[in-house]
Amino acid sequence: MNKERLMQVLLGPVVSEKSTIAADANRQFVFRVVSDATKPEIKKAVEMMFEVKVDNIRVVNIKGKTKRFGTIHGKRSGVRKAYVKLAEGSDIDFGAGA
Amino acid sequence: MQVSVDSTEGLERKMTVELPAEQVNTAVEKRLKEIARTVKMDGFRPGKVPLSVVRKRYTGQVRDEVFGELIQSTYFQALSQEKLQPAGEPSIKPLEIDPQQGVGYVATFEVMPEITIADMSDKVITKAIATVSDADLDSMIEKLRSQRTTWNEVERAAQDGDQVTLSFKGFIDGEAFDGGSAENVPLVLGSNSMIDGFEAGLVGCKAGDKKTLELKFPDNYRVEKLAGKESTFEVEVSKVAEPVLPEVDEEFAKIFGVTEGGVEAFQKEIRSNMERELEEKISANVKQQAMDILVESNSFDVPGALIRQEAKALLQQAKANMAQSGQSSQIDLPLSLFEGQAKRRVQLGLVMGEIIKQHNIELDQDRVRAKVEQFAQSYEMPQEVVDYYYSNKQQLAGVENVVLEDQVVDWITQQVKVEEQNSTFEEVMNPKQPSDQESE
Repeated sequence: MNKERLMQVLLGPVVSEKSTIAADANRQFVFRVVSDATKPEIKKAVEMMFEVKVDNIRVVNIKGKTKRFGTIHGKRSGVRKAYVKLAEGSDIDFGAGA
Repeated sequence: MQVSVDSTEGLERKMTVELPAEQVNTAVEKRLKEIARTVKMDGFRPGKVPLSVVRKRYTGQVRDEVFGELIQSTYFQALSQEKLQPAGEPSIKPLEIDPQQGVGYVATFEVMPEITIADMSDKVITKAIATVSDADLDSMIEKLRSQRTTWNEVERAAQDGDQVTLSFKGFIDGEAFDGGSAENVPLVLGSNSMIDGFEAGLVGCKAGDKKTLELKFPDNYRVEKLAGKESTFEVEVSKVAEPVLPEVDEEFAKIFGVTEGGVEAFQKEIRSNMERELEEKISANVKQQAMDILVESNSFDVPGALIRQEAKALLQQAKANMAQSGQSSQIDLPLSLFEGQAKRRVQLGLVMGEIIKQHNIELDQDRVRAKVEQFAQSYEMPQEVVDYYYSNKQQLAGVENVVLEDQVVDWITQQVKVEEQNSTFEEVMNPKQPSDQESE
């Protein structure tokens, strides 16, 4: 697991009602991650990028919707999200403008 | 709110205003809540954005806004607290302090100078006393006659004062030049509208005569290319006419709008016109002197901001005038050109304002009406003009200003010594040293 790979794992934070609720209630921060990321990878990546301690990770794959325009069928790309629970005392501040 | 004022140089003041942190923070917080209710953000339903997210994103922006508004509201509060009267807009800089402790700003502005009206009792205004004499009237009528000169064609040699109709072609070194020829133009000999020698050379010509004139353009001729050049003009005179002054009779009176009463009414009309002009000139003279005295005896620092403002207004006016007279308004006139004049005007305005305030000079409505009626006299339907003035606030305000100025001038003339000076119509109307300062 080299550093270069870790830098590429996290794609960005998910900013939504659900993610803020999760952050406020359970110290869980949500990221979009690359589709082949593994839990250990994500853990390392978050710990490295934000200098925090990670408790556990839950990952979810969201399949893209199929969309149709007339006879043309299309599929939106899916997204892999990681719910990263931080150990007590750790926090991530995405800062103003995040 | 803490306010401290430093005097820097002259009329400039530095006012430092500090506001406690809570005042700002509560205002910011209130504003944030408002935003949270209405803001739309990706990932959230409208109005469901948690305050913490709103705070993160909008705090900086809201703070600036609130700060701006606080400056607005506290600036005037601080001014009245310190009893300052600023002239012109302040320049405001935020104080660099920790936002937790509070915010503050420094407003730099100039204050209105304190004006004390100086004693003017030792100043002297000379007021001309003059009447319109018969001789003045005669010379005026003579002038009017010469304006209405008609030309009567004659069969004799042209002499000075005659009008000659001619065609000419000009050559320099044997070649015709631009603007050097014309056909059938009337020229009054002795009017000096052509270059030296041209008109003199035509004295003695008869209709149909041809003449060649060898002339030199003056060195300071307005067309540079031609200045100082030797030239040859071939001139053909087609007509010679002598001036005929119109007789002063009923016909002549009619030209000037006097249809009834003939010559006598005409003379009366002219006389009353002249008397009015004379009166106006004398009062303008007195006004001018009064203004000069005001400026002279009341010198004080004038706020630069006001001067700049006035100078800008003058500049605009000058440009508008130029545009109207057909000149390009693109010419960049330096602002400094108007600063002297602007300073005088601001100074006068301030002093007059102070006089009006101190001595409770109130606008005299009767005088306003009299003035408006006086304006109206020169129109065909005076009543309509009067009504127009009274229905148009802006126009009326202009008249009111003039009247108020006159009242101030009256007050000044009571303060100073007025010397009466016997004079004649001619001396009053055409003073030897025309004062070029504009009357306010």
